[in-house]
Amino acid sequence: MSIADSPELVTTTPSKAGGIDRRTLMISGLTAAGLLGASTVRQMLRRRAAVFIAKGQKYNEHLVTTIRDGLVASGLVPKAVAGKKVLLKPNLVEPSRAVPHMTTHPAMIVAAAEVFRGWGAHVTVGEGPGHVRDTDMALAESGVGAALDAAKLPFADLNYDEVVWTANRGQACQLQGFFFPKTVVEADILVSLPKMKTHHWVGVTASMKNLYGTIPGIKYGWPKNVLHHNGIPETVFDINASLPKTIAIVDGIDCMEGDGPIMGTLKHMGLVLVGVNPPAVDATVCRLMQLDPAHVPYLRLAADKLGPIEDGLIEQRGEAWRPLASPFQILDKPHLNKLRPNGALVS
Amino acid sequence: MAWLDEILSRLVEHPVCGYRPGSTPAAEPTTIAALALVAHGRMPPVDKALDWLVPQQSVIGSVGVYERDSTPGWATSFAVLLWTRTNTRGRHQARIDHGVTWLLGSRGTTMEEESKDLGHNPRLVGWPWASGTHSWLEPTAYALLALKAAGLSDHPRAREAVKLLLDRQLPAGGFNYGNTIVLGQELKPHVQPTGVALVALADEAGIRDRVGRSLDYLRAEVNVGTTSSSLAWALLGLGGYGALPSGHKSWLEAATNRTLAHDASPYKLGLLALADRAGDQPLLKRNAPAAN
Repeated sequence: MSIADSPELVTTTPSKAGGIDRRTLMISGLTAAGLLGASTVRQMLRRRAAVFIAKGQKYNEHLVTTIRDGLVASGLVPKAVAGKKVLLKPNLVEPSRAVPHMTTHPAMIVAAAEVFRGWGAHVTVGEGPGHVRDTDMALAESGVGAALDAAKLPFADLNYDEVVWTANRGQACQLQGFFFPKTVVEADILVSLPKMKTHHWVGVTASMKNLYGTIPGIKYGWPKNVLHHNGIPETVFDINASLPKTIAIVDGIDCMEGDGPIMGTLKHMGLVLVGVNPPAVDATVCRLMQLDPAHVPYLRLAADKLGPIEDGLIEQRGEAWRPLASPFQILDKPHLNKLRPNGALVS
Repeated sequence: MAWLDEILSRLVEHPVCGYRPGSTPAAEPTTIAALALVAHGRMPPVDKALDWLVPQQSVIGSVGVYERDSTPGWATSFAVLLWTRTNTRGRHQARIDHGVTWLLGSRGTTMEEESKDLGHNPRLVGWPWASGTHSWLEPTAYALLALKAAGLSDHPRAREAVKLLLDRQLPAGGFNYGNTIVLGQELKPHVQPTGVALVALADEAGIRDRVGRSLDYLRAEVNVGTTSSSLAWALLGLGGYGALPSGHKSWLEAATNRTLAHDASPYKLGLLALADRAGDQPLLKRNAPAAN
């Protein structure tokens, strides 16, 4: 179950394969008539998702239009958002004025907020920085605090919020459940607003890994080492499975390659990605980096359980990914080498 | 000082507090507020905090972060700090002993061999944020302060904590959450954990030369715009070495005004009031002050 399965919020989860949708398949009798092979039918019944890509993006131009178009193209129903609680979750893991390409740009956050506010939603921005106890410092260093003040956007410090115990719906790790911030649990729509970055342990961080920041430091620490001890891929999967009302808007304008998610170098891509299915969005992020999503362990876990990661199951809206793909450097480490199908480009 | 009076009047009115005004009471903000009140000689309201703290201690001695919360137990260190500072005629001794017993039984996980991917020594034992995880900088520093306050500076766990903190100091100076070098890259320092570590180490013999670069880092980083909890811990750290910058009181005033205008967090306000006494090393005192 994901937000893409909520017909009141999302119009059309793409499910067509070769012009035949799921319902048609089920009732048409094509299967019973034996006109299609069993494997073909299985393939046709697999969940599909749309991912919107915009190119040539800048932080000071047209982001509101881009994000609005992307959300509509991804199937979100603007009218259905009215009155809903929308929580925007940027990535402010360890902000530094010297490394702005580490964290979600303030302009992305404010633009996304403007879109949802324009549709009548109640918007809050929330984050629980993973490496910084002083969240005010994270807000100051990232420039996000000043931007939120200027836009009169409320901020929820997810590291110190009241907590709610939630069962682990993924069950890939040993944890029976998670303490989530009340603000996260009560949101009708959680918008993961990550930065597009390489990650020195799991290859790539985007909308799914960004949800580590919904885990409260007050219960799990700085860093949130309980998650690491239970397996990064497994806990990324489980957190996402336990927060099904999540959609993704990715800051892929100024990105990070090499020793991400903290110490990497700037790589400009000029992209914004939008989708209502985080695994599909993150798989597309991988392809844009010329990295193989099937070798990103948490995406492998998520494949077909939380969403599609195969290229053939993802319908590109806006721009196609292939002409925009550009290789991101990754560290020359054995655990990362499989990510690049055509040989290592290392830093 | 009007800003300090404003903080103290708020803490006197609500000595049992959470991280935000009106939120669920929590052990860290309540003990920080009480320690600030003690440091400023406002003893009567501290009893309300102490009364609240009693049932927060679990049967095994730990104190959870939130009211009626048993885990994680890292806030136990703050409870022990407050109990030792108010232990007139030994009235909290049993609670201190119980808390210290829990602290001494709490250990961060270790790695049997040093990892080539990590710059620190993962075999040193300190304290974790949550049980079953690695030792990290701040919980180790808090526990070290608690052991020192309880008179256990020479305990082997306290000595190992000192080693661990120094091992986690960044080569270029400063501390962060507790990683130094990862996959060959030296990481960046942060103000708050640097202050926390320096506080806990301040009374160690011959320490000044070993943390000189961290003191330099803090002095260079902290200014009138530094955010509240970072500023407070930085000043508490610098105060332990007689290195408080001139004008720091005006920085505290500015931070107080920003906090009051923003979220009025009792936790941040308590830290700022405590930092006003940074020169007295309020977290390294052992004796209970006389009531007034």
